[in-house]
Amino acid sequence: MTEPENQLALSYEAASARLEEIITRLDSGQAGLRETLELCKEGRTLVELCAAELEAVGRGLEELHLEDLVARLEAGAGAQGA
Amino acid sequence: MPAPQLRPLGIDGSSLPGPYPVGRYADGLRDFLRERPRVQLFGEVWNLRLSRAKVYLELRDSDGALPCFMWRNDFDALGLGERTLADGAQVVIGGGLDYYAGSRTSSPSFSFAIAAGALRVAGEGDLLAQLDRLRKTLDAEGLFAPQKLLARPALPRTIGVVTGESGKARDDVLAGLHRRGWHGRLVWAFAPVQDRHAAPRIAAALQDLAATGAVDVIVVARGGGSLADLFCFCDETLCRTVALLGVPVIASVGHHTDRTLIDDVAALSCSTPTHAAESAVPVHCLRAREDVIAFARRLSVHGRRALLHRAQTLARLSRAPGEHVAGERRRLHQRLREIRAAGRRRVHDERARGASKALVLERKARAAAFDAHRAPRLNALALALAAHDPDRTLERGYALVTDRGGEVVTSAAAAREAGDVRLRFRDAAVDATIGGDDDRA
Repeated sequence: MTEPENQLALSYEAASARLEEIITRLDSGQAGLRETLELCKEGRTLVELCAAELEAVGRGLEELHLEDLVARLEAGAGAQGA
Repeated sequence: MPAPQLRPLGIDGSSLPGPYPVGRYADGLRDFLRERPRVQLFGEVWNLRLSRAKVYLELRDSDGALPCFMWRNDFDALGLGERTLADGAQVVIGGGLDYYAGSRTSSPSFSFAIAAGALRVAGEGDLLAQLDRLRKTLDAEGLFAPQKLLARPALPRTIGVVTGESGKARDDVLAGLHRRGWHGRLVWAFAPVQDRHAAPRIAAALQDLAATGAVDVIVVARGGGSLADLFCFCDETLCRTVALLGVPVIASVGHHTDRTLIDDVAALSCSTPTHAAESAVPVHCLRAREDVIAFARRLSVHGRRALLHRAQTLARLSRAPGEHVAGERRRLHQRLREIRAAGRRRVHDERARGASKALVLERKARAAAFDAHRAPRLNALALALAAHDPDRTLERGYALVTDRGGEVVTSAAAAREAGDVRLRFRDAAVDATIGGDDDRA
């Protein structure tokens, strides 16, 4: 899975699992030059994805009541509709 | 002794008798209750509590309940033990109404008093049996599985929590998430978690959270309590709601020894709210950040190494033609040196072989010259030798005279002296005897 649009849809666990596969493959020393460069490119994209996911849950705890979330979602849906 | 109270005026317009002193009225009430007929009642035991002096319990059935107590000594005399009278156990008790009237410094209590020794365990409670039947029904319908088949995200961005607003479970959930290093979005859906209204409210909260589409996982948390307190989590409608919910639910209801139906239908059942919160975030965020940084470094190392390797390969390839030509040149030079050396060796060998042959020829020539020089003399000697050969004399008709010892006899006197002689002619020898006179010539 090397297409960027596919990687954007990856979950954190899928991205981190693929990242571990890539590192294992690179550590084995069996990847050729072209494969190594492609794996490094894919790996950097996955690292950015994982870092973004971790960043999203690391900015600070946000506590909401269910009613607040519903109101926020409705406000967002209304803004989009407008 | 306290001074008698003055009776105050009653409420204006009230037709009720009194007012009466409350203590006297309470004593009267106690006496009234104690006069009620003593009876046997049956129902299910709930909320059994043992103190040093008394044993408290509630006797329930589907229509109602009564608080009861029994003196601890009487209870211990039954030899039942606390486990026998677990929540839901069916018992028959005998006793009557009693009332503790209280005093100025102590609160009153209303209880159905159990007469000593009048308690019999009649079997497992209907509620537990109903619970067991419902558990089997839900299991047979396959409702234990759907939640467990849902994918639970390793790193949810939004977590919903259904719990009591004032319970300790709320703090435990926060502590669990903090231990995971998770600081995402937490959506509280508070609901009663104990009374008869709890189950519909909990189900509604779960459905509302799921309906937002923004919640990745939901934790249902409640602290410990008796099975009666937790019974709302065995509600059939609630359990069916959880089973069919599209968002994974992690349940933490009561202590680890409690097992409610929501534990069976949920995606995961945890022993404590803290554990449930940790399970909602399987990834330890701080460690995951360290891992991602380490991955990035290793990728960078591999990328640099690959580029360096490619550069080294290209450099090696660019040098290859020159090195190949130089190698061929070295091989040709070496071949030339070998050919020259071989030529020199061949010339030397041939020269040595020629010299050897020349020497042999010289020796042969010298021998031939020597033979040519000595041949005439040898012929002359041979002729001279042949001339002195006695056989040649014999061939001319002479004979050689020898005595018996083989000595040559050269005179007549010697012949006579010898007597017997041998005459050797050319062809053979004959013996002869010397006789007669001396014939001198």
